[in-house]
Amino acid sequence: MIHPTRIWCTRAAVLLALSFSACHRPDTSKKLIVVIVPSQDNPFFKAEADAAAVRAVSLGYRVRVDAHDDDAYRQDILIDAAIASNAAAIILDNAGADSSVAAVRRATRAGIPCFLIDRAINATGIAKAQIIADNHQGSIIVAEDFVEALGPSGGSYVELLGRESDTNAQVRTSGFHSVLDRHPDLLRVASQSANWSQAEAFQKTETILQAHQDIKGIISGNDTMALGALAAVKSSGRSRIVISGFDGSPDAVASIRAGELRATALQPAVLISRLAVDETDDYLRTGSTHKLEQQTIPCDLVTRQNADDFRDFEKVR
Amino acid sequence: MTATTAATRPSIRATRSGVRALLLLFKARAVVVLVALLIFFSSLAPAFSTSNNFQILTKHVAIAAILAIGMTFVVLTGGIDLSVGSVAGLAGMLVGYLLTQGIEAGGSRHFLPVTLCVLVAIAISLLVGLLNGWLVSKAGVAPFIATLGTLYVARGTALLISNGKTFPNLGGDPAHGNTGFPALGQTFFFGMPMPVWIMLVLFAGAVVIARKTPLGRHIYAVGGNERAARLAGIRVPLVKLFTYVFAALCAALVGLIIASQLEAAHPATGDSFELNAIAAVVLGGTSLMGGRGSVTGSLLGACVIGVLSDGLVMLGVSQFWQMVIKGAVIILAVAIDHLQTSIQARFLPILLRTDNGAGE
Repeated sequence: MIHPTRIWCTRAAVLLALSFSACHRPDTSKKLIVVIVPSQDNPFFKAEADAAAVRAVSLGYRVRVDAHDDDAYRQDILIDAAIASNAAAIILDNAGADSSVAAVRRATRAGIPCFLIDRAINATGIAKAQIIADNHQGSIIVAEDFVEALGPSGGSYVELLGRESDTNAQVRTSGFHSVLDRHPDLLRVASQSANWSQAEAFQKTETILQAHQDIKGIISGNDTMALGALAAVKSSGRSRIVISGFDGSPDAVASIRAGELRATALQPAVLISRLAVDETDDYLRTGSTHKLEQQTIPCDLVTRQNADDFRDFEKVR
Repeated sequence: MTATTAATRPSIRATRSGVRALLLLFKARAVVVLVALLIFFSSLAPAFSTSNNFQILTKHVAIAAILAIGMTFVVLTGGIDLSVGSVAGLAGMLVGYLLTQGIEAGGSRHFLPVTLCVLVAIAISLLVGLLNGWLVSKAGVAPFIATLGTLYVARGTALLISNGKTFPNLGGDPAHGNTGFPALGQTFFFGMPMPVWIMLVLFAGAVVIARKTPLGRHIYAVGGNERAARLAGIRVPLVKLFTYVFAALCAALVGLIIASQLEAAHPATGDSFELNAIAAVVLGGTSLMGGRGSVTGSLLGACVIGVLSDGLVMLGVSQFWQMVIKGAVIILAVAIDHLQTSIQARFLPILLRTDNGAGE
């Protein structure tokens, strides 16, 4: 069963790539770069895929974008397809730190260099580069701002977790807690996974708000869940609840600008994708990226004061 | 001899009343489980039994219940509709598009009034129901396959509408004269949230259809024995078409309610909702083979699922345990259903015997 997301996303990306190369038939004389991302119904992965595609096309490559829907098996099939289509390089946002090692190794053995973006794998020396946003640092700056917003008297707060099997969900919650747990006045009264989803965060926050009347803040593993929590807080008629997210999605940045969400950590997805394509290009020309394999790019804290500096996962000012 | 007969009579009578009580308990299992859950959560989470929480709870139950009510008729005819989750997502995206992008005509963008946006979104979603019904009743495609296909088509279309993006700010723009959409999911009417009213209206309609109209009897007949129904002159394809269109209507309403509550439409909304709806229908005692079950049962099933998930969140139970517990409850319900059928079959002779006839 091929998931429709993948077909449509591939098609959309191909259209995009074609419109940039101003040519309606793929030019087989150009080298192919395959970009594989988790999904494209999420603005973050979409921005990441689009940025990589645009950069690669502008550097004179053909691009194909696939989505693996966080399924390591589907990722395997896509890697095989990339090998079969004689790709020059693969840019991959992988489907799992451990479950992706074998696939990356197989592509590398087949002579296709892999450049990992956004998520690392638990192995070094296989991929040519692993460029990731510093989720730990990002969650620390969000948590520090959150503590400041709650004030010196502290209070009760709720934590919304991402999908609990996801590495980033774990890194972010541990980053939050490395700050929050140092403050004895802060009390976590509930913590629930809303699986990164807005609708689920909405329902769960509504229920949690009923169970606990004294909540002063909600800290969320991503922006989508933070926006769901915001809708629930609004519908409960309560105000003055501090809500912070993570990712820097355009909707969240707009909400911060409007003074509704407190803050988010913007992951420089666009920058990371561009870096990955540039290093791919460098590697394909010279045989080396001239960089260390593991590169972490710090996140930026977006607050009401600087919200105008960010757009579509990119710092524009 | 006389001693044995005298001893047998009361024992048969006792068995009979015991079996009857057990069967009654099994039949009312959704109510029993629901009451047990309500008592359990109220005693462990003090805020659970507050009127505020019941308001929120009914709102969450309404979403599951609307889908389950729509699914009931389809399952009663012996079919299944896997596309309802995708249709919910599609309806939300359609209304999101109409509210934020408008329609392009004559070189300029026109924004429709909210009511019209909602109606257009529902109408287009009903097309998916029509397609399901046509595929199942006319083209002879198995319901599982036909609706699996439309599941993907509808989800893909929802993604295509925005190219995967979320439509935010569905509050509308006074300049375009299309504000007011959030009212659908957020307003209260006589102290109850609007989604609950929508659910109650659909529920009442479905109960009337099931019990009082020829269409309702035809639905049961088609599920009980399709061949016999056809021979009896029932227009089987039309009956089936109705069930899929009704399911799509319910799904579209759910999509619109969610979009209205969040004031945002996300193309992945409704993912795996169909499984929740099927679970609620089965919990309510409707047979997946068709012909047996009720709309009221499905409503109770949806209540069980809604109360369970909200209660577990309130107790702070982790997501993983929530999934395990939900699965266990569904399995238990189906096991009891099976037990009920076999006990009924085994004790049928005793249950049918009259007191006068016994022992003679």
